[in-house]
Amino acid sequence: MLLFSYLLMSGITTGALYALVALGIVIVNKATGVINFAQGEFFMFSGYVGWMLHVQYGLNYPLSFVLATLIGFVLGMLTDRIAFRPIAKNDIVSLVLATVGIGFILKGLARVIWGGRSDYLSFPPITSPDPIMVGPLMVVPQQLAVIAGTAVIMLVFAAFFRLTRAGKMMQATADNARAALLVGIRTDQIYTLAFGTGAAIASAAAILTAPVTLIYPDIGFAFFLKGFAAAVLGGLSSLPGAVLGGLIVGIAESLAGGYIHSSVMELSPFLVIMVVLVVRPTGLLASRRARTV
Amino acid sequence: MTIRFSGVPTLLAAALAASAATAQTPGVTADTIKIGSFGALTGPGYLYGKLPMNGVEVVFDEVNKAGGINGRKLVLMREDDRCDPTAAIGAVKKLVEQDQVFAIIGGGCSNATFAAKDTLEASKVPTLIFASVHDGITTPPAANIFSTATTSSIESQAQVAYAIDQGAKKIAIVSMRDSWGRARYTPLLEAFKAKGITPVADEEMSPDANDATAQVLRLKAAGADAVLLLLYPKPAAVFIRDAQKLGFKPLFLGQTGIADPAAFEEQVGVPGATANFRTISQVRYTPEDPKMDKWRKLVEAKFPGDRLSVYNLFGIGSAEVLVEALKRAGKDITREKLIAAFDDMKDFKTEVYAAPITCSKTDHRCNKGPAWMAKDPGGPIKVLGFTAVGQ
Repeated sequence: MLLFSYLLMSGITTGALYALVALGIVIVNKATGVINFAQGEFFMFSGYVGWMLHVQYGLNYPLSFVLATLIGFVLGMLTDRIAFRPIAKNDIVSLVLATVGIGFILKGLARVIWGGRSDYLSFPPITSPDPIMVGPLMVVPQQLAVIAGTAVIMLVFAAFFRLTRAGKMMQATADNARAALLVGIRTDQIYTLAFGTGAAIASAAAILTAPVTLIYPDIGFAFFLKGFAAAVLGGLSSLPGAVLGGLIVGIAESLAGGYIHSSVMELSPFLVIMVVLVVRPTGLLASRRARTV
Repeated sequence: MTIRFSGVPTLLAAALAASAATAQTPGVTADTIKIGSFGALTGPGYLYGKLPMNGVEVVFDEVNKAGGINGRKLVLMREDDRCDPTAAIGAVKKLVEQDQVFAIIGGGCSNATFAAKDTLEASKVPTLIFASVHDGITTPPAANIFSTATTSSIESQAQVAYAIDQGAKKIAIVSMRDSWGRARYTPLLEAFKAKGITPVADEEMSPDANDATAQVLRLKAAGADAVLLLLYPKPAAVFIRDAQKLGFKPLFLGQTGIADPAAFEEQVGVPGATANFRTISQVRYTPEDPKMDKWRKLVEAKFPGDRLSVYNLFGIGSAEVLVEALKRAGKDITREKLIAAFDDMKDFKTEVYAAPITCSKTDHRCNKGPAWMAKDPGGPIKVLGFTAVGQ
């Protein structure tokens, strides 16, 4: 039972981070119909920005978190304006390739700005590294901080989509871009907002992740891969689905590693996804839209 | 009295022939010897390419200041392989065919150097590897390729030997199974077999892992008292953080992939977590050691903005070995003579390596004494000694 509880906590922690990356992917996909392959690089770049603010300039963690998320938001919006908008009318393949290119540029920029310091940059823990014993259970404060942080971010974004005008317009555009345009919504601005929001979520995820890992230029791809898998598992257009997918991927990894062998950790989430998609091809929480022509 | 001069024409002819041979030797002129180097000058692998090359260059500068080798100055020509196997082959071809270098000192990333092995061997250019540890580069030995890097099999043997020496009874492995990890994992299992022991646990981690709870719990359940880490610094740091978090405190043994205990302590970032961590270094000194003052000043003067690093020392040690072999090859230097000088090198002491350098015709792994290093939390790095293996 103890082993199960440790593995479950660890799975929920990493799963929560995958869920955030998946959320960013789903938001951009819902608004633009494009998978943003640069999502992992937004995550990586923001991790470096957070490191610079917190470690290099000595700002406290909460302030670094807020600033890095804002910088991520602006970076996402700029990316849309500079790299995505000019080719927005091109075919979907060009748009997807544009996101791949954006990813390469961000990685190159990170190497130019922060390269040469070390292979890997360390971010100090935000809580005591020592575990706390709750009865027979060992609780790691760092894990609790990541889970709590993720929950808060999810609540904030849920409120944004439900309660704000911009959030509602994003939802409307995602549901039917043409209809949204007809009722006066500037869909081009919504696309920019979606890129900014996706990048901001990636930033928040990166700053939460940084204390439990190390930052390096290639970190984004691994998180993108798991986040994308989580998004697909959840249904690719469902925000709660992205969260559920992330948690399933994280927990599957952890339990498989603990109970079977560490060699199956990387494989296990993809096996789960394969099974789910065979049974339910649209993903766990995607709305089923039957269209008769 | 008649003085016979019959031997003089013979001697003259021999001298002329030798000088003609030297004149025909690519990369050698009356006053220079052109030496090529390849490795990553750009990208994250620059640590294993550019930095050792900087070390080589300061050694060459010192040699040149002292008049060169038999009156010839050493000229270093660099090529960037970006740690990319295809680029490494291209870099070697350029050095050999276009730049016509006399010899090569280089080889940073193992996979890139291994890919270039056939090209190097076919060129017959005497080559000294300064950082790549892949066994395949030197085993089976190519006539012209030597290495001052401790190879992966030597390091694996040293890890097992050191763990046993420290009294470990239950030794476990955590490894990456990419090409880098496998190049170490296979010889490690052979080292276990040679000692007649079986690892109590054998776990994997991916280079991108961000959590090692499962691995730590499995090793803890197996009761491991020593864990051999065949990991890059990133997954190793994640593993040690999680081990600390879960109260698992065996002896952790790294290898040259984690060559700098101070940088590693910083990467782990949890006070005290690296207290039981020991790692292998190809060199016996840390960059901060007062014995390295001379090299620190030279490197930092020639490359403003650089701090002397352990990777500079790889190049410095390797260059000292090359310079010695060039001296032994004599004034009428040829590639064959240089290769013979490497083959005959026995117990040559450098300023940086832990053990004397010994090569032979059948064993071109010339550095068989990996040094062990540790760093007390917050304290200085200590050199604990070296493990002589693979003799």
